[in-house]
Amino acid sequence: MGKVIACYKWVPDEADIKINSDHTIDLSKAKWKISDYDKNAIEAAVQAAQVLEGKAVSLTFGGANAKSSLKDALSRGPDEACWINSDLASEADGFVTATVLAAAVRKMEDVSLVICAEGASDTYARQITPRLGAELDWPVITSVSNISINGNTIRAERQLDDCIQTVEAELPAVISVLPEVNDAPLPSLKAVIAASKKPVTELGDKDLGITDLTSKTRVQSQKAYVMIRKNIIFTEGDALDQVKELVGNLKKEGIL
Amino acid sequence: MSAEEKFDVIIIGAGPAGSACAYILARAGKNVLMVERGSSPGSKNVTGGRLYTYALEMVEPGLYKQAPLQRRVVREQIMMLGENSAVNIDYVNYDFGEDVPQSYTVLRAPFDEWFANEAEKQGAFVASGILVDGLIEENGKIVGIKAGEDEMYADVVVAADGVNSFIAQKAGLRPDIPAHTLGIGVKEIIELPDEIIAARFNLQGDQGAAKVAIGCSDGIAGGAFIYTNKGSISLGLVLNPEQVGQKGRSIQEILQDFKMHPAILPLLEGGKTVEYGAHLVPEQGYQGVPSRLYRDGLLVVGDAAGFVINTGTIIRGIDLAIISGAAAANAILNSIEGTHAGPLYMEELQKLALLPTMKMFAGWHSIISIPRMYKEYPELANDVMRFMFTVDGQVPEKMSKAMMNIAKRHVAVKQMLGDGWKLFKSV
Repeated sequence: MGKVIACYKWVPDEADIKINSDHTIDLSKAKWKISDYDKNAIEAAVQAAQVLEGKAVSLTFGGANAKSSLKDALSRGPDEACWINSDLASEADGFVTATVLAAAVRKMEDVSLVICAEGASDTYARQITPRLGAELDWPVITSVSNISINGNTIRAERQLDDCIQTVEAELPAVISVLPEVNDAPLPSLKAVIAASKKPVTELGDKDLGITDLTSKTRVQSQKAYVMIRKNIIFTEGDALDQVKELVGNLKKEGIL
Repeated sequence: MSAEEKFDVIIIGAGPAGSACAYILARAGKNVLMVERGSSPGSKNVTGGRLYTYALEMVEPGLYKQAPLQRRVVREQIMMLGENSAVNIDYVNYDFGEDVPQSYTVLRAPFDEWFANEAEKQGAFVASGILVDGLIEENGKIVGIKAGEDEMYADVVVAADGVNSFIAQKAGLRPDIPAHTLGIGVKEIIELPDEIIAARFNLQGDQGAAKVAIGCSDGIAGGAFIYTNKGSISLGLVLNPEQVGQKGRSIQEILQDFKMHPAILPLLEGGKTVEYGAHLVPEQGYQGVPSRLYRDGLLVVGDAAGFVINTGTIIRGIDLAIISGAAAANAILNSIEGTHAGPLYMEELQKLALLPTMKMFAGWHSIISIPRMYKEYPELANDVMRFMFTVDGQVPEKMSKAMMNIAKRHVAVKQMLGDGWKLFKSV
């Protein structure tokens, strides 16, 4: 009967990111969206909530602009949304975000499962799931590509580099899912209309009773990197020599 | 059906026509659903971008002042390109946009998003990222829409779904659109610093220029446009797709040739193309407007209704879309729960001067369909100019004789007389 929480992040659309000539990053023209991987997390939470016969709740920690995300999140199926509205979100590291999310989870009663994506599409730092598990002292399962829930037990398939590991844990638990876990469908018209009528809880970071909200890491700079091309043209000898030389070079570079 | 599945009005498409309609209806307290296929309003749009602001005034006085407009057009230019030359007509009027707001360049992605948002503020419900698959018909009346598995009902459905309106087609108001009635538009947005735009187009502050050009389409019916925005210019071509096919040329190639023309390149040099796209454009003016613009329970507005005027010098579409959206809203408000809104809509289109204006320009389509407009006449104009400005120390030819020879070189006298008569008759 417990709640299933889907955490998501409101991120700039990578298609709109511009790189200035000094390699700094310009986000001024970027539209914002729910991180793509998080759409699978939301869908997984909606499915899990059905199995558990509980409610799916979307949870996000974001600044004022994340308000626009609520309708979108709710149109993907959760029964209600919770938004921790805080200016701290833009500078937050994994510690701050996980502390805030854990406090919000604790505040909600009767939570069975928290589902995150493996990483956010902007930073892909993969910090939140393990940190959340540590904060809540719940079992953590990462890299999940398949979920089944039976009573109070979650069984998850973890997609590792060269094998699939099946893991079981007792609920409540925190898991992070890979995009393979489901096909997050586009919201339907009725779901979009229904979303505007679903309840939203807005909290400030001060409502959570947290004492330390100082980032342990600070971003010093964020720059695009430049791939320097070697621009080598093989002209000596006939085609066979040129291919040999090309293969030799690729081997030297460790590519072959 | 439950109250949740029924709206007073459902509008398909959140472009200027849809948003104008939604805005007025929602302001009057109607329960309005506007469904947009793109992930956000404007995301599917490619229009070059010029808005005559009188139209927004008809929706809500002063509304245009909050709109994300680009530059106030004070400079109108018509260009006739020759092989390596150009005749440029430049009309500047610094009163444009002072007392009577006339036109501004716009970028449609931010503009459409803003306008839909304004409609939402009035109480309309905007659902983006939803494709409407069809209409629901009961006893010959349109009573709702289908989107995927979902059905949604309304007293009136407004089709504002653009140039290739599948909704109007599905309702039997338009046939499948034949290629010769359309133009294919291609556009690039090229980023340039504002001070460079100001210097190249001779502008100050928020002033803008609008340029149309002919003689740049390899003889294919069509022309080019350049609009100055804030920090960018919009540049594009509208071409007849059939003739492009017959010529066997790719549209990108023709666009590239236009950009490389010695009279155009200096305007763009150093710029960076940040966006490109292509879209269909209604090309037939009044003749392209379907004979019926409504059915019981359905009204067709904007590009879906073929409301575009192209005189060769001005291209109007966005303003007509807004006016038709307003006309549909007024008609619905004047009807009793949408009954007989159709005839009222036709009355509104008359009253708001939309149909009379389109009728007024009805003949222009036959002028722009004169094939010689795209090659022979622009070249002729360039040759005349060359003759007039050539000084080589020889005794020049007598003016009248020279003009006659130039004219004959490009167009047969009989043809020219015929075209002249067509021009006179059409205008």
